Amino acid sequence: MPPALRAVLGKLITTLIVLFGVSILIFCIARIIPGDPVRIALGPNASQDMVDALRAQMHLDAPLVTQYVYFLRDVLHGDFGMSLYSKRPVIADIAQFLPATLELMIVAGIIMVGVGLPMGILAARTRDRWPDHLVRVITLLGVSAPGFVWAVVLMLIFAYFVPIFPIAGRISNSFQIPQVTGFMLVDTLLAGNLAAFADAFRHIILPACALAVTGIGQSARLTRANMVETYRKPYAEMAQSYGFPAGRIARRYVFKPSLIPSLTVIGLDFASMLGGAFLVESVFAWPGLSRYGVNVILVKDLNGIVGTVLVIAATFLIMNIIVDLLVWWLNPRFRLGGRS
Amino acid sequence: MAPEFSKRLGAALLAATCLTTTLAAAQPALAHGVLRLDESAPGDIDPATGNDNADTILSINLYDALVAPKQGGTGYVPLLARSWSTEDGLTYTVDLRDDVTFLSGNPMTAEDVVFSLDRMKALGQGVSYLFDKVESAKAVDAHTVQFTLSSKFAPFVAALVRLPIFDKKTVMDHLEPGDTQMGDWGTKWLSQHSAGTGAYSVVSHNPQEETVMQRNPDYFLGFDEAAPDTVRLRYSLEPATVRTLIAQGEHDISSQWLPPEVMSALAKGGAQLLSEPAAGAFYIKFNTRKPPLDDANCRLALANAFDYASALKLVAVSKDISQGTAPTGLIPKGLMGADDESHTLKQDMAKAKEYLSQCKYTPSDYTLDISWIGEVPLEERFALLLQANFTQLGFKAEIRKMPWALFASQVTSPETTPMISQVLNTTATGDPDALLYNMYHSSAAGTWASPEWLKDDQVDSLLDEGRTETDPEKRDAIYHQLNDRLMALAPSINMYDAQEVFAGSTRISAPALSDPEKKFPLSPFGFTFRLIDVKD
Repeated sequence: MPPALRAVLGKLITTLIVLFGVSILIFCIARIIPGDPVRIALGPNASQDMVDALRAQMHLDAPLVTQYVYFLRDVLHGDFGMSLYSKRPVIADIAQFLPATLELMIVAGIIMVGVGLPMGILAARTRDRWPDHLVRVITLLGVSAPGFVWAVVLMLIFAYFVPIFPIAGRISNSFQIPQVTGFMLVDTLLAGNLAAFADAFRHIILPACALAVTGIGQSARLTRANMVETYRKPYAEMAQSYGFPAGRIARRYVFKPSLIPSLTVIGLDFASMLGGAFLVESVFAWPGLSRYGVNVILVKDLNGIVGTVLVIAATFLIMNIIVDLLVWWLNPRFRLGGRS
Repeated sequence: MAPEFSKRLGAALLAATCLTTTLAAAQPALAHGVLRLDESAPGDIDPATGNDNADTILSINLYDALVAPKQGGTGYVPLLARSWSTEDGLTYTVDLRDDVTFLSGNPMTAEDVVFSLDRMKALGQGVSYLFDKVESAKAVDAHTVQFTLSSKFAPFVAALVRLPIFDKKTVMDHLEPGDTQMGDWGTKWLSQHSAGTGAYSVVSHNPQEETVMQRNPDYFLGFDEAAPDTVRLRYSLEPATVRTLIAQGEHDISSQWLPPEVMSALAKGGAQLLSEPAAGAFYIKFNTRKPPLDDANCRLALANAFDYASALKLVAVSKDISQGTAPTGLIPKGLMGADDESHTLKQDMAKAKEYLSQCKYTPSDYTLDISWIGEVPLEERFALLLQANFTQLGFKAEIRKMPWALFASQVTSPETTPMISQVLNTTATGDPDALLYNMYHSSAAGTWASPEWLKDDQVDSLLDEGRTETDPEKRDAIYHQLNDRLMALAPSINMYDAQEVFAGSTRISAPALSDPEKKFPLSPFGFTFRLIDVKD
């Protein structure tokens, strides 16, 4: 079996074991959080008979282990149960809200990499000169304030004082786009509606920027630090002494090896957006999974909590696999195995 | 910096700027006849399972009930019913209109009413508790329904306000497998579609984002000329977002949950302030099982020491409009049994000290535990006010923040219920029974509506009488007696009679939310969309 395939299979098996562990953990934690989910859902006026009936329907009157067996059986059939929050199957909620958050994360990730890495490269190549200082100030600002602060700042600047961007939802009301993938940018293109695509793009810019700002700061600082370190390596100094063009040295000899440690952090930053997007989603009325996750916790919607946490955990684990594969692909020492 | 690199960077920045400017310029045209408002998520479009404010707004616009609260007055008027009657208070006969059709085109008949009640009771969610006393309903003929009650229940007609009528045939066509003989009672289908006679129908629904509705052109009561063609009910917008949207002209009516200072800022920016009586009150609730609050004199001392005027200032939105009005007793104004404005409650420190002298406990020996719900930041201000007031009597007072779920769990036992908690209680039907029974009857203790844990035979007896007495005048007298008894026991403080306030754009005209002569006595009926005019 090729080493790459073996590595992927190994990672997948580990992922399944971790997911199983997470499911037990979150299943128990959700039930320990104070509050009776059924009473919260039915309200204070519901009779005890109503409460008991719903509790029995949700198997909450059974021992914890039995409840978990029911849960596992249903999950294996693709059923996370009904949400007490939305009164719909949790799987339907996830299917509806996850694409919105993934789309936001992907655009934010592109902005994070597209802006953060060039800034880091610029800072490293102009070390201790004014562009480096400017990048340092910008990145410090980026990492020192959380995403929701940037959300409000961006909203004030680009929607209140200079109203050029919309601030709520994923697309303007005047467009009716049939849902195919759940990714609005993709669906507008599939519908062949470029005006709608432009509108959806305008809607995603501010929330994606707000979500990306912290990551931009982190990736720029990391890239700069790694590149500065690599510039000091003998092979980079040798290339400089041979008089190779600065751009070639940066691109071929310095940036590529510097990218490997940055990539790991960027990958984890990207995955953590799923959990951290809640406030940005709230500020921009973005109907995503993070916002849903917090709402289900507040009303102690057991099925909603477990479903959301499992999806977030799975996303983290998948991102981890992707990052490992990228590092494996970029780093010849791993790729070439024992020959290094 | 290498020149090649600078050029590339410059080109990239230029391209990004051009793209952003082009996209920013591509503003879509505003749709005409659209009303945009917001409420707390989630929205539930199935009125048999929904219970919250958003759910009720959806229910009254997508469905109709047999009766409705009377606009510009008190009491109830027929809606899908023509009339109702009862001989003995145990059997109610309701005559239905024969000119109403559902969205599907099916005529509305007595069978649909029976089905709607059976569905509500079988699902056992939402406001089904209002129909606990209804044993059965039967279709006497196509347009006559007979309800049989297990015992006399005077608020029955009021409860009918919350019984929306479903199109039985359409729902039956969309049953999914379930635990009962009726499968899932159509819950899956009805979570995305409507099957009512209402003025609006569902176009799309996302419980966390928005519900889009459009006019039902065949609605039997017709529309105001400028009533909205389309309504977009958005969910859980942040105050900063609502403020920006209204300022941009992209939103029409805010929810009542906007902080007073944001409403005030919007009003200063030109927005209109709309309001509606909440048929309820914001209560400070004493756990009557814990010392020193198990002594009525101690509770009366605290009630008299409370600074009602400062509480009202905390919820004032403008000079003229506030989220609360001065209370006159424990039954809010507008409900049966409420005292008139000559009984307006005021802080009275002399009286407070007099009651305190009769209390069997020494204040300095006790620390009052004042809780506030983390999800409602305004409650922290009230907690600080309570602390300031109660320490004047010599009590020590500690403030404790707790999440709603924890509070809902703690109130299930008197030992864990906080000594002092804060709850906004409103009535679902406009009848005092729907508010008071679940707060003060000893059999209803142990929920977030009743952290008082009151156990008083006279209160129980008056509440039971209020349920069974069908003569309105006698009922009013019973609830007046109840109010007097409660004021003597002081299980709670009515901080203020609640009023829902909303910020609205100047693009809309909503007499049911602005003209006292046209307001409904029950919230959120002011959000009957067909009565709101939208100027384009």
